[in-house]
Amino acid sequence: MSKNLSHLSGRKGLTDNLFERIGELAAKTGSPSKEDLTKLAEEFLIRPASLYGTASFYDFTRPENKGKKVYVCNGSSCLVAGTQDELKKSIGTHIDTTEIGEMCCLGRCHENGAFHYEGHNYSGKSAAQLAGIIEREIQDGTDTYTVEAMGAEILTTPFPAWEEVTAQLRNLLQTPRETILDSIRQSGLRGRGGAGFPIGIKMQTCLEAAGDLKFVVCNADEGDPGSFSDRYILEQRPEWLLIGMLIAGYTIGAQAGVVYVRAEYPASIQTIRKTIAILEAKNLAGQHILGSDFHFQFKLIEAKGAYVCGEETALLASIEGQRPEVRVRPPFPATEGLFGKPTLVNNVETLANLYYILTHGGDAFAKLGRGRSTGTKLVSLDSSFRRPGVYEVDMGTPLQDVVEKLGQGFSRPTKALHIGGPLGGLVPVHKIADLTLDFESFAQQGFLLGHASVVGVPEDYPMVAYLEHLFEFTAHESCGKCFPCRLGSVRGQELLHKAQHEDYTIDPELFHDLLTTMEKGSLCALGGGIPLPMRNALAYFQDELRAYFKENQPVSTPKKV
Amino acid sequence: MNKIAYINNKAFEIKEGETILTFIRRHLGQNYVPTLCDAPNLEPFGSCRMCSVEVARPGNGALKTVASCHTPIEENLQIYPDSESVQHLRKNIMELILTDHPLDCLTCEANGDCELQDVAAQVGIRKVRYPEGRNHLDRPMDESHSYMRTDLSKCINCSKCVRACDEVQGEFVLSMAGRGFDSHIIKGLDTSFADSYCVSCGACAQACPTAAITDIYQSAAKHATDHTRTVCTYCGVGCNLEVASHGDSILSITAPYDAEVNQGHTCLKGRYAFRFYNHPDRLRAPMIRKNGKLEEVSWDEVYDFIAEKLNTIKSNYGPDAIAGISSARCTNEENYLMQKFIRAVVGTNNIDGCARVCHSPTALGMQRTFGTGAATNSIDDLKDTDCIMLIGANPTAAHPVTGAKIKQQIMKGKTLIVIDPRRTDLAKMAQHHLQLKPGTNVAVMNLMLYYILVEGLEDKKFIESRLDGYEEFRQQILNLDIARLERECGVDRNLVRDAARAYATAPRAMSFHGLGVTEHYQGTYGVMLIADLAMVTGNIGRRGVGVNPLRGQNNVQGAADMGVQPHQGPGYFDMHNEGYRHMYEEVYGVPMPERPGLKIPEMFEAARQGKLKALWIMGEDVVQTEPNTHAVREALKSLDLFILQELFLSDTANYADVILPASSFFEKSGTFTNGERRVQRVNRVVDPLPGTKPDGQIVVDIMNRMGYPQPEYDAAEMLKEIAQIVPFFKGITWERLGENGLQWPVAEDGTDTQILHTESFKIGKGRLYFVDYEESTETRENGAAFPYILTTNRELEHYNSGSMTRRTNDALIRGEDFLYMNPEDAAEKGIRDGEKVKLSSPRGSVSIRVKVSEVVKPGVLSSTFHFPEVMLNEITSSVHDTQAKCPEYKVVAVDVAREN
Ligand SMILES: Cc1cc2nc3c(=O)[nH]c(=O)nc-3n(C[C@H](O)[C@H](O)[C@H](O)COP(=O)(O)O)c2cc1C
Ligand code: SF4
Ligand code: SF4
Ligand code: SF4
Ligand code: SF4
Ligand code: FES
Repeated sequence: MSKNLSHLSGRKGLTDNLFERIGELAAKTGSPSKEDLTKLAEEFLIRPASLYGTASFYDFTRPENKGKKVYVCNGSSCLVAGTQDELKKSIGTHIDTTEIGEMCCLGRCHENGAFHYEGHNYSGKSAAQLAGIIEREIQDGTDTYTVEAMGAEILTTPFPAWEEVTAQLRNLLQTPRETILDSIRQSGLRGRGGAGFPIGIKMQTCLEAAGDLKFVVCNADEGDPGSFSDRYILEQRPEWLLIGMLIAGYTIGAQAGVVYVRAEYPASIQTIRKTIAILEAKNLAGQHILGSDFHFQFKLIEAKGAYVCGEETALLASIEGQRPEVRVRPPFPATEGLFGKPTLVNNVETLANLYYILTHGGDAFAKLGRGRSTGTKLVSLDSSFRRPGVYEVDMGTPLQDVVEKLGQGFSRPTKALHIGGPLGGLVPVHKIADLTLDFESFAQQGFLLGHASVVGVPEDYPMVAYLEHLFEFTAHESCGKCFPCRLGSVRGQELLHKAQHEDYTIDPELFHDLLTTMEKGSLCALGGGIPLPMRNALAYFQDELRAYFKENQPVSTPKKV
Repeated sequence: MNKIAYINNKAFEIKEGETILTFIRRHLGQNYVPTLCDAPNLEPFGSCRMCSVEVARPGNGALKTVASCHTPIEENLQIYPDSESVQHLRKNIMELILTDHPLDCLTCEANGDCELQDVAAQVGIRKVRYPEGRNHLDRPMDESHSYMRTDLSKCINCSKCVRACDEVQGEFVLSMAGRGFDSHIIKGLDTSFADSYCVSCGACAQACPTAAITDIYQSAAKHATDHTRTVCTYCGVGCNLEVASHGDSILSITAPYDAEVNQGHTCLKGRYAFRFYNHPDRLRAPMIRKNGKLEEVSWDEVYDFIAEKLNTIKSNYGPDAIAGISSARCTNEENYLMQKFIRAVVGTNNIDGCARVCHSPTALGMQRTFGTGAATNSIDDLKDTDCIMLIGANPTAAHPVTGAKIKQQIMKGKTLIVIDPRRTDLAKMAQHHLQLKPGTNVAVMNLMLYYILVEGLEDKKFIESRLDGYEEFRQQILNLDIARLERECGVDRNLVRDAARAYATAPRAMSFHGLGVTEHYQGTYGVMLIADLAMVTGNIGRRGVGVNPLRGQNNVQGAADMGVQPHQGPGYFDMHNEGYRHMYEEVYGVPMPERPGLKIPEMFEAARQGKLKALWIMGEDVVQTEPNTHAVREALKSLDLFILQELFLSDTANYADVILPASSFFEKSGTFTNGERRVQRVNRVVDPLPGTKPDGQIVVDIMNRMGYPQPEYDAAEMLKEIAQIVPFFKGITWERLGENGLQWPVAEDGTDTQILHTESFKIGKGRLYFVDYEESTETRENGAAFPYILTTNRELEHYNSGSMTRRTNDALIRGEDFLYMNPEDAAEKGIRDGEKVKLSSPRGSVSIRVKVSEVVKPGVLSSTFHFPEVMLNEITSSVHDTQAKCPEYKVVAVDVAREN
């Protein structure tokens, strides 16, 4: 991250946004031309190298993206479901194989077979309608999945009438910021994007940070393959999110809210765009909101395909049109965020809870859940369940209940649940009974709640192949900044590949060293997090993995340096 | 009680805000913790993770691994910088690095001078256990550039080069491209170095821990037997250089990170343009013109010849028939000696220097308003200012390291006002660019003053307590004819008003000016108005404010300080004052001349009139650099004796009767004073080139020949004499100057001064002067026949007449002078880009190649005069600043036409 580029991009800010401009230049052919980049650089008083650096980072703007027409999902759920090879083959009968690209997780994990064509997502049954889709006769790829709550309904409940909301917001605008902040702090609401950090503390830092210009940024980059609960909010309950951002904006004194939505969710982009327009029409966005002195502009930013943009500092760099490399903290975004200004970055689901807290009070929210995990959590279950879908449960609900009552058991023989995305833990099915759905329970058992997406790893899917997939995912998505992740993810993938396909066994000490190096040495949770599922696998699936390691010994006993 | 933290259970004092890495290094040494992506002049980045340490917070006690370079220190933190786990981690990271790095250290050009190698040794890497996998070892080398090189197969992706180009130079030539394992360094749009926007500052090459980015000299540095710290000879920024040498060969130059002036940075001139020093063209023997031809002679012969000739002229025509022009390229001590020679040995005040043609109006204008003709503040103040006003200066080309620093501040959000007829690189970044007609600075300044006073933005308290003559001044400003000024300068008055508001309302505003202010008919007045602006807004005497001339040559400040001007001796004492003369006489032991001396233009005039018979020029190519070449040639031809002391045979040498081969700054010691009054030590790197002598030694030799006993040239000894006379040098000794020099005035106890006029001005209260705008006689008289205005500028790669830089690879980067012309004018005249045109003025005409560019407005042209092939000064005018006699290079009435 370059402070200079932040400020230069910030000169034009959100109105003439550098990242969007790069995106527009890529729209024509899939990647911006060098001439266009040179002109754009001049406008922004920088040099084209920086812009080329940015464009070449993203899946959907880099030179290799030129000429791609169809994108097939290669996320974990579609992978283990085994739908994608067949799908690619069928698509190949309609479209040149060089024109087929890949996307990582379209959020169709409940039915798989996902692909993207000309701005629309398709999955499940669509594979059977390929010809019509390619010929543009069929453009409706709408999917359906079960949504249900077991306990309090905060996020799954229908949005109330606008009159009611407007009245509540009128109240809000007359309440001192500190009062709202107190209530949010009392709620104990913790971030739903993975790290579980209390939003109240971040809001307080933002509020106290110097400067008049502040931002709220919603992280709607839901990149974890297997998760689609943010997608649910973005498409089915967008009002919860935007009103939540408005509340946050008022509380910290921000002037603008950015919703950064991943390109893999075209329908989400549409609903957010529409909802922003509705808010604007109702004077709930823009200048003088409800006649007050509070101004709050919404800005929708369409991502361009990079998992790491879900990491907050990379996300901010992305909005600025810089290469979305993770940056060091401090300074934290709450003091120096977007364009160097104090910025509150939160996940979709986190922000969507704020209206409930505003209207019911922080206490009411804090009463829900268990211990330091308050409120409810959305869980997404993939196609390995009999009843896949998005479920709202009180924090602390037994995992067993989620699997059996909501998911109604497995749709196929399943040996492990990968919970919380690729960086989450691999829970062997026999451990399900030991877990309750909250941050603490998962941490204590050596797993991670994360964003609470659940992907079932089938009995017959080789664990070694799944681990290789995880390394490959990390290698593909690594921003490349820190040495352990950039190099380690590739070496890890190579080791596991070689062990499967060549006469080669892995030195367990080397593998252990690699995991420790990534775990302790990585700058962010991508490189730092991927060893967790690896270690879970080594602990719980030793027998399956034994053959790939020297002397059949997958777990090394650490030796002295 | 001081706050502490623990390293391996031992308590050490912490400093607020430092990182764990700085903390450890401060106590246990620079190399205690290995790093690969950290550099003293770059922000913490956190990519290599080599600096990892284990820490435990008090109370909770759990050990955690953190990267020390970007983790702030905390009170009572327990740090274990070399625990077993940390050692293991570092080794394993190094092993990963080596899976994608060539293992041919022994044949690598960086062998022995490679951070990666050092760190690998420090962490004790054993063999690489990973099987061979994907790698980037087959990347091709790039040898396209005159100085810069890449071999990216050796790149370890630390991004230091990218950050150096961004955070230090501000050029954004480099970037990472791609993602993850595929991420790689690119230049420009993935082009070669030569095709990129690289300005060859070398910051990336210095930062690179391996041989992935280097320059053509770097790899030779490992053969160095000596490393000498000295000061760049080119511009007034005064960058410190670390010169690696072997015997009499200079191998390579880097920038010391601990240099207060340049913190590890230079421009290409300082870092790379050094090969002139042993160029075949260097003069290697004294010469005397015999039968019209210069012939090599011995030093004895030349000294005898000079002494005898000067003595004869002196006895026949009196001492005032002799004059000397000293050099701002030479050391303080040498300038001091030259003026001493002219005054004490010859007995005349006919001593002047090249400051005449650049910043003499600054010295005069600031002396009149503040009492001291020098920058009021320091470059470091840039960090604390809120608004920068740049007038008639293009520092990214002419003062590159300061230019880069200004750019950094602007990119961090500070306000920039540029007043310049050219749309310079910084003007493009400015919030306010007043693109005035050349020669109308005074009109614009007056407009600014008008709006400040009309809108009540003046600093009343400052005016009340620190200034004289405000009420009268105010009335004069308010009576100005605004419409006329607007018309004359060609800038919309609202734009000027906005700039005036920005300057006046900034809590701290700092102005910088260059030759675009001084080299004018109203040069001195322009400077005085800049001072007025600073005074009425209270921007004087604090950090982050002031009036700061960007001094052109390396030692132009010093030459003036040393008395290189006819009216004032060393320390600026008036030669017409008997008391002061007496003071000099006490030290020199001979009577001092009282009669007023000649300024450079007056010397030429006197020569043409036959009144001046002998001239000694130390290191200046007046034919190429003085305006109106024809008149200069006439003057030189009229002399009976013309002595030229030089490094190379310049055009001026064609007229010389005697040539004295001097040594370059690499070959001698002394001091230079930079633009912020910082006196710094110049240290001899190599012995004088055989056959040459240091300028100071030559002057000493002649003094002795002419009967004045003067000890051998020795900088430290000379400084002692200077400190006796020059009050602001009182506390300066060679030893005290140390590595980073001292900023004058230096008190007897050695305390130096970053900011002038903090309590009061040298003249008590500051003086406000009112001057109205008056058009230059050049355009008034010649404008009708020659409708375009030519203004002169500088290019980054070359220095002044280019005598040194043209003899380096800089000439491969830029090999000729160009005429910049607006596309509208080009279209109207049917002139195409790259075509040669005839550029004519009332003095004559030259042939020059055109660059069609938006850098100038229609009606305005601009060019450099670095190359003798064009001899641009054939057409510049003889108009001078009415006060300081500085030539008006910046306004020349010209016409332009296609050739043939
Ligand atoms: C590699 C990586 C990917 C991430 N992806 C997401 C994401 O897709 N969505 C999200 O909300 N947070 C993601 N995060 C977490 C964010 O960095 C950040 O913690 C979060 O946006 C803060 O919001 P919260 O406190 O409301 O969860 C990711 C973090 C990492 C390290
Ligand atoms: S861990 Fe990976 S994604 Fe995170 S900063 Fe390092 S290289 Fe980038
Ligand atoms: S030499 Fe200077 S300008 Fe050129 S790439 Fe390196 S840092 Fe940038
Ligand atoms: S070229 Fe050198 S400085 Fe730049 S990333 Fe590579 S190793 Fe680092
Ligand atoms: S020319 Fe000026 S900026 Fe460049 S290195 Fe020398 S002193 Fe520094
Ligand atoms: S020096 Fe700290 S990560 Fe490189």
